[in-house]
Amino acid sequence: MRRRTLLSTLALSPVVVAGCTTGEGVDTGDGTGAEAGAGGGFVAAISAQPDQLDPHKTTAYASFQILENVYDTLVVPAEDLSMQPSLATSWTTSPDGLSWTFTLAEGVTFHDGSPFTADSVVFSFKRIIDQQLANASRFATVADVVAQDPTHVVLTLTSPTPNLLSRIGGFKGMAILPAGVDEATLATKAVGTGPFVLDSVSAGEVELTRFDQHWGERATLPGLSFQFITEPAAALTALQSDQVQWTDNVPPQQVEQLAGDDSVELGQVASVDYWYLAMNCAKAPFSDRDVRRAIATALDRQAITEAARFATARPNQTAIPEDSAWYYDYAPFTTDPDAAKALLEGAGVAGPLTMGLMVTSEYPETVTAAQVIASQLEPLGITVQIQTEDFATWLDRQSRGDFDAFLLGWLGNIDPADFYEDQHRTGGANNYQKYSSPVTDDLLDRAAVEPVEAARKALYDQAAKQIVDDVSYVYLYNPDAVQAWAPGLRGYTIRPDKAIDFDEVTLPA
Amino acid sequence: MSGFALRRAAQSLVVLLGVSLAVFALVHLVPGDPVRLALGTRFDQATYDALRERAGLDQPLPAQYLQWIGGAVRGDLGVSFRSGEPVTALILERLPATLSLALGSIVVALLIAVPLGTASALRPRSAVDGLGTVVSQIGISVPEFWMGIMLILLFAGTLGWFPAGGYVPFARDPAGWLHSLVLPAVTTGLVSGSVLTRFTRSSVLEALSAEHVRTARAKGLGPRAVLSWHVLRNAMLPLVTVTGVQLAYLLSGVVVVEIVFAWPGLGQLALQAVEARDYPLLQGAVLLFAVVFLLLNLGVDLLYGRLDPRIAA
Repeated sequence: MRRRTLLSTLALSPVVVAGCTTGEGVDTGDGTGAEAGAGGGFVAAISAQPDQLDPHKTTAYASFQILENVYDTLVVPAEDLSMQPSLATSWTTSPDGLSWTFTLAEGVTFHDGSPFTADSVVFSFKRIIDQQLANASRFATVADVVAQDPTHVVLTLTSPTPNLLSRIGGFKGMAILPAGVDEATLATKAVGTGPFVLDSVSAGEVELTRFDQHWGERATLPGLSFQFITEPAAALTALQSDQVQWTDNVPPQQVEQLAGDDSVELGQVASVDYWYLAMNCAKAPFSDRDVRRAIATALDRQAITEAARFATARPNQTAIPEDSAWYYDYAPFTTDPDAAKALLEGAGVAGPLTMGLMVTSEYPETVTAAQVIASQLEPLGITVQIQTEDFATWLDRQSRGDFDAFLLGWLGNIDPADFYEDQHRTGGANNYQKYSSPVTDDLLDRAAVEPVEAARKALYDQAAKQIVDDVSYVYLYNPDAVQAWAPGLRGYTIRPDKAIDFDEVTLPA
Repeated sequence: MSGFALRRAAQSLVVLLGVSLAVFALVHLVPGDPVRLALGTRFDQATYDALRERAGLDQPLPAQYLQWIGGAVRGDLGVSFRSGEPVTALILERLPATLSLALGSIVVALLIAVPLGTASALRPRSAVDGLGTVVSQIGISVPEFWMGIMLILLFAGTLGWFPAGGYVPFARDPAGWLHSLVLPAVTTGLVSGSVLTRFTRSSVLEALSAEHVRTARAKGLGPRAVLSWHVLRNAMLPLVTVTGVQLAYLLSGVVVVEIVFAWPGLGQLALQAVEARDYPLLQGAVLLFAVVFLLLNLGVDLLYGRLDPRIAA
């Protein structure tokens, strides 16, 4: 695989590279019938088929791309990811932080015509909690959900939870359904309050139509459809020939070329995702902090980033990206093979060392990154065995602790707790590398209940420093969200959390 | 004749039972935990346990098998882990797309194979024969995904004659259906057609040198009559077998082509089932493929009887 120099103009800040004019571009809009039917002329090509459309059960990004336009939550992240009112218009917190009262919007109707009330909220949240559905852990500190009156809901907590808003509104997995909805049909039918109604679901596409009784601004498009196009070349050709008007199936290596292409408009923004290398802290010699530090010192993150993502990511030594309000500027490692060697020798690791590096074909960038990492560790006398697994096997081995090291990413994080808590607290649900530090635990525990935001950030900064210094993860890079759409399309904003809202979109004239 | 058919049907049932056992065992032997996958990367023990119990995976394996096969006999293949929908509904939903592509491909394949194969056989080592060899070599050796992408770039991108992908149901728009079918059917049809061209050529050659053909010629029959009555009819026999096998292969889904052309067929469904370790869906799909192969084999055998009365006797 050939590496290219970074196009730094693209990589430094959120940019939208616009095609100059809507001039040419191949147009086959001759009404051949193969193009969108009921979609109202707007077709979005997403790269995978949703597994199912029950918002409380699915964990697939493809599902949420659709559900984003169909359901609402109590609160919703703005483009800067601060939590804003949605179905809840305001909220108050008791002085001890253990009781939150939400005032609900009035005059909101579900797609089936039933009214939105406090009962809808209680039903939806209790459904997730009582049935232990996919996002139940987000309610870990919630003791009870009570409807005070039709327009007020009270959440009582077992401990102060300053990030409650992002927990209950960070994404559409916390969608509000009408009380008593037919749960058995939710996989293919939706009853939300969002700007679009789920019209039909088939193996090839999903169609939405505008919900005219929407409580907020009415959507501009009469409808839209989602098609599932896995092959990037097919998705881009479909976009260029006006068969689809939007796609997120843009491989990083194509970005440079597309930036100069008038037939598409390219959107690129720093995302809230990060990719990392984790080493097994419960397995010698990686249990030795100095061995992990040696490897962190030997790696050239810039080279890894360019190989894995071309010009669509930026290296980072912590998890939280630079654009976030929670960003912590800390980069203690500079690439230095000699210092790395010295650290290894100091740790008593004499002679050659073999490290299995588990990656998955589900995320091809991990395979590419692993190859670069292998070549960078070779001068240290470390032989990296790249173990490529399918994702099911990969997850199996990860949960059994059957690895020396692995590469993966965390996607869609908003609050610093999303970035650090489950992954680095001793015994954390996602602490597969078995990292354990009393200092980190204490900082994370205090941060989790700290109500003052500045103090909370200071605690997370210290925790991040500890995590980086101890090399619980070797943080590698934050990728950009990259999407492409028809030139002249208006009203669409590419977001760091990759939520896609089509309610204000207008098609090119 | 009916004894022959009955015997074959009974054999097929035994094979099916064996297939069901083998599929069940294999699916459960493959490493990977469907529940863990369904949860995504963020893991939570309580949610995991609840989901595992709901899926019935906490039951012992023999009990799971009996429950599955018991349902299958009654036409109930269970509920997909991944989507929560009945497996039969998921398969039926994708059947029209798969049938369209399979039939379209066979038509393309036969349109290539029969004329080209026959012409090659009639003039061995001529220019036509050379062309046939080259075409079938290309068809067999060029990977389908590459062929598909090239066709998309040329006919959907540059020329803009056909859509780049997607399936339009026949019931909704017959013209759109045909329009969307052309590129994927040509891609798979080229491969099947290449295989069939070779078979047509060799069986026509064989038939040409058969004694009854020489007799027919000696009787003074014209070349056209010899070809249609005495050569092609005999050459059909092996061609029917191979076409049957090709059709079965196409009906069980052509994964690569379906992915390239965003074609919602059974191959994609099966692949998703494998990736998600969706046991009920995977078992259901494989069982269906087995049934398709058995039925087509049965059909080919019975068709033999029509083409060659000696077999049915």
